[in-house]
Amino acid sequence: VNGFRHKVSFALGLLLLAGTATVLPSSAADGDRSASDAAIEKAREVAKGDVLLEALLTELERSTDHLKMDQVKPPYYIEYRVDDVENLDLEAAYGALLSDQRQRLRVLRVVVRIGDYKQDSFYGQGMGGATIVPLDDDPIALRRQIWLMTDEAYKMAADAYAEKLSSLKQFTADPNPIDDFAKAPVVMKVEPVVAMKLDESEWKQTLQEATNLYRKYPEIQSVSASARFGRVNQYFVNSEGSIVRNGRSNATVTLNGSTQAADGMRLQRNPYWTEERAEDLPKRADLLKETKQMLDTLKALRQAPIVEESYRGPVLFAPDAADDVMAGLIGGNILGRKPQLGRPNRTTGAFATSYKTRILPKFVSVVDDPTIKEFAGKKLIGSYDVDSEGVQSQPVTVVGEGMLENYLVGRQPIRDFPNSNGHGRASPGTAAFPTAGTLIFKSSEAAPAAELTKKLTEMAGAENKAYGYRVDTLGAANAPRLLYRVYASDGHQELVRGAVFNELDVRALRNDLVALGNDPLVSNRAGGVPQTIIAPSLLFDELEVKRADTSKDKLPEYPAPDLKR
Amino acid sequence: MHSLPVDLRVRGVSGTLQLHGRRLASLLVALQLVGLPGLAVAGEKDKPAAKASTDVLLQAMQGELNRAKTDLAKSDPAPYYLSYTVYDQDQIFIAGAYGALLTDTAAVRRSTDVTMRVGTPELDNTHGQSRGSGMTSGSLPLQDDPDATARVLWELTDREYKRAAPAYLNVKTNTAVQAEEEDKSPDFSKEEPKVHVEEKLTAPPFDRKAWEEEIRRVSGAFRKYGEVYYSTVILQVGSSNARMVSSEGAAIETPSASARLVMEAQTRADDGMDLLRVETFQAPAAGGLPKEAELIAKAEKMAADLKALRNAPVAEPYDGPALLSGRAAAVFFHEVLGHRLEGHRQRDEEEGQTFTKKVGQEVLPKFLSVVDDPTLGELNGVKLAGNYSFDNEGTQAQRVTVIEDGVLKNFLMSRMPIKGFDKSNGHGRNQPGLMPTGRQGNLIVSSKQTVPEGQLRQMLIDEAKKQGKPYGLYFDDIQGGFTLTTRSLPQAFQVLPVIVYKVYADGRPDELVRGVDIVGTPLAALTRIITTGDAQHVFNGVCGAESGSVPVSAVAPAMLFSEMEVQKRAHGHDRPPILQAPGADGAAGSDGKAGSAGVKP
Repeated sequence: VNGFRHKVSFALGLLLLAGTATVLPSSAADGDRSASDAAIEKAREVAKGDVLLEALLTELERSTDHLKMDQVKPPYYIEYRVDDVENLDLEAAYGALLSDQRQRLRVLRVVVRIGDYKQDSFYGQGMGGATIVPLDDDPIALRRQIWLMTDEAYKMAADAYAEKLSSLKQFTADPNPIDDFAKAPVVMKVEPVVAMKLDESEWKQTLQEATNLYRKYPEIQSVSASARFGRVNQYFVNSEGSIVRNGRSNATVTLNGSTQAADGMRLQRNPYWTEERAEDLPKRADLLKETKQMLDTLKALRQAPIVEESYRGPVLFAPDAADDVMAGLIGGNILGRKPQLGRPNRTTGAFATSYKTRILPKFVSVVDDPTIKEFAGKKLIGSYDVDSEGVQSQPVTVVGEGMLENYLVGRQPIRDFPNSNGHGRASPGTAAFPTAGTLIFKSSEAAPAAELTKKLTEMAGAENKAYGYRVDTLGAANAPRLLYRVYASDGHQELVRGAVFNELDVRALRNDLVALGNDPLVSNRAGGVPQTIIAPSLLFDELEVKRADTSKDKLPEYPAPDLKR
Repeated sequence: MHSLPVDLRVRGVSGTLQLHGRRLASLLVALQLVGLPGLAVAGEKDKPAAKASTDVLLQAMQGELNRAKTDLAKSDPAPYYLSYTVYDQDQIFIAGAYGALLTDTAAVRRSTDVTMRVGTPELDNTHGQSRGSGMTSGSLPLQDDPDATARVLWELTDREYKRAAPAYLNVKTNTAVQAEEEDKSPDFSKEEPKVHVEEKLTAPPFDRKAWEEEIRRVSGAFRKYGEVYYSTVILQVGSSNARMVSSEGAAIETPSASARLVMEAQTRADDGMDLLRVETFQAPAAGGLPKEAELIAKAEKMAADLKALRNAPVAEPYDGPALLSGRAAAVFFHEVLGHRLEGHRQRDEEEGQTFTKKVGQEVLPKFLSVVDDPTLGELNGVKLAGNYSFDNEGTQAQRVTVIEDGVLKNFLMSRMPIKGFDKSNGHGRNQPGLMPTGRQGNLIVSSKQTVPEGQLRQMLIDEAKKQGKPYGLYFDDIQGGFTLTTRSLPQAFQVLPVIVYKVYADGRPDELVRGVDIVGTPLAALTRIITTGDAQHVFNGVCGAESGSVPVSAVAPAMLFSEMEVQKRAHGHDRPPILQAPGADGAAGSDGKAGSAGVKP
């Protein structure tokens, strides 16, 4: 192990750059193409001192007042969003640093809409465009890029509008048409920006030490670890008068281990932790412990028996596996996405036609509540005040007593949802899209985890099975990474490998889910748009666990190099 | 450090692909550039063998290579060739626009290419379409950690074997099933392994803060031009070290450094035609780049050119005499001739093979000769970008006479033999991560039939008169080009001239025109050269092709063509921006009309 070890101050955290947050009372947008003079006055005051916001407002005003081509309508709505992104990526393998990259970028996205709220140009290339803008707070240089992108977005909108109107001609006119764009209250909320300041060398050291454990695990083929620290300051203005500035940060550390069993089966683990602040991530000692544990389980997996060809019976998902199931099957299907032009559906996805029908057992409720900042002492990265379309966040009951009550929507209306419920969210440079914030799964009859385990073995016993299955963590495509047999006779556990779930789908959630635990786990997910899933254990009375149909790769052609140190 | 003459002008040349994007796209592409492969501007010192043993990384590479060679020899099928190339790249990338920085990044990378050949030199896994199976790439530890380095090399080697072995079996089956190929050359040439370790370069001082300020100021020069609606100034400074070891016994270390400054400016004519000016400066270190005042003057000139171009009339389709400036002729030869002389194209059955069977025949006028000479570091005091001491396959760079007195003699060869040419001549080049192919280095056209450059314009007028044409065309500057060499597409080339004048036979002043594209078929175009100027001009740039982007140089004198075909350039129809540019001085379009007093050749 490396000899040098010096004490470095762990000066990582969020640095508040700007002090004051101004929140002005909202006023309803009147739908006029430009905000009133008074509103502009107010906006200027809010943005004062922020060169980027001022540059955005200057160009917004200029474009709102003057952007017009012959034979093309002027824009009725213009929106600018700048994401000022900073990332630091570190990666280590086998005790050595592989990569150390820092990136900072300001990405502007411009949406120009021609037409009106009922029918507009938001279609194809009319959905806006993105460019990068200067990092320096230089008003002229900033405005040059904003000006040009606005011009381009307007021209694209003009083309898209014509194209859309002609495409619509091939369909029968909808007697109850859905608006293209929802009106939304004006929001003025300028919050402090966040800065990234962390001790790189401390983290480099941690990743190197963690991955250096490969020396003690000759059975493990590959050991690496990575950390990503990021912050985004978002600047938003639109021609309705909204001005929003907010910042967020997140930090993720991921461990990766992989090896093969003697029969060639590939075995993998990649536990990760995501927090709003790097200082809340596992400390070095904890991370070393976690790495050891990961490597130990991989070692155990190599020796573990392969699952039987097929098992059909009770399966218990620990919270760390339940979150993935719920994020994929529920989180991905409750979004109000406007269907293709001419299609009559309400939305797309597995629950497109499930509005006001039962999609989960009666005892389950699902709420998306981005307004909650903490849960059980843990900061939620899915929390936000204002979404990427400048709409105030709000809690939404998605499922009540098993019934689908609401979709999560942004400012693109769908049938029965004419207004945004504050879920239009975007990753830097991309169009806003309905996305969950903090999705919370609860049961009216939540039971302690121990009780669920007991129930699992009881159910197995009742079916004359020697054991039920409990899955602790999942990998890609919901394939179990850590799967245990829990024996009905005495409750002892046995790790197995090589399994996949069959028919783990929305139907199984509706019909086979029998109980939820009272052990909710906060799962922060960084990805493009940060999200949090809070889900407890899930007990299914019947699921199929079957042997994975994967080929067994050859073992390494020759042994790994001997260690010199 | 080396200092450069201030009038060095370099520009992006492209091969089969044109490297020119806009805004986000162009910048994101630029951000991903890992820089030029570590072969340019090689150091001078050559201390073989003894030096090799003191380099910790080279030792680790050698050790792991030997182990793999021994252990994999027992496998079936077994590799007969294995090499490791490790690239150290230290890159700084600063981009500015209109007085502010758009990006400002520094990255240090160490990556490796593991190359493996399974089978025999006569037939191996890289045969034909499965060439990609010869290489697996990955990141290596940034520090010289022998254990971790060996471990990653082992992982990548094992992964590469698992690609190469099945690929070889596939190749064997296909070869048995398919009709015999026309060129039955082996897949890999036999070469003498070299040991060559150049002394590492001491990194030249780079004052990042000062350069950030300079990029702000230079890019700010475009601020006052409302009609230059897109411009960037990009500085890319990098040092690189390439180490290569092979199972044949090669051990080569070639450090290099380069600094590139690219200025791009664009406008749009009222009819929607986008007009672009690009200036590139290149030097071994940032200190060798032109002084700020010169860069700003260049920016002003680009803006003035664009203003003139915006107002210039669109050129009509034309077929008649034309004069190419030396730099324009250099790009023309790079595209039209150079790419077709790349060795691998002579055996790939998808290729058009324009010159494959023309060895010993006249393909150019007798007074012209062409060499590709990567060993040349500079010409007439100008540094050549295509200079290297060893190619990416560890073969020593050689001066190759490809055309002598108009007669085709040779091709640009990597270690992929072709009929009649069974050895590499040191032109196997690639960017990190891609399999090498025969590529150009410094392509140099020389002429025995020259007139003083100053007389060429009159000769153009005389030729126009002789042909009864009202004018000839003078191509002053070319932005780049591309060429199609495959069979399935027309054997055409296109170069993209940016500054073109009509030179009238009746003595009217020269007239700048826009929207000209040179078109035609290569064999015909090359035979129409009447005479050349007496001075050679250098065009430095980056060339893109199958094996990636590599720095190249093209050198040629100005040339008079009896006939050149041009067509109207296809262009978009979007109007120029509707609103005026923020902060531009004065009203756009109010300042002057077309520059009609042309630059005389």
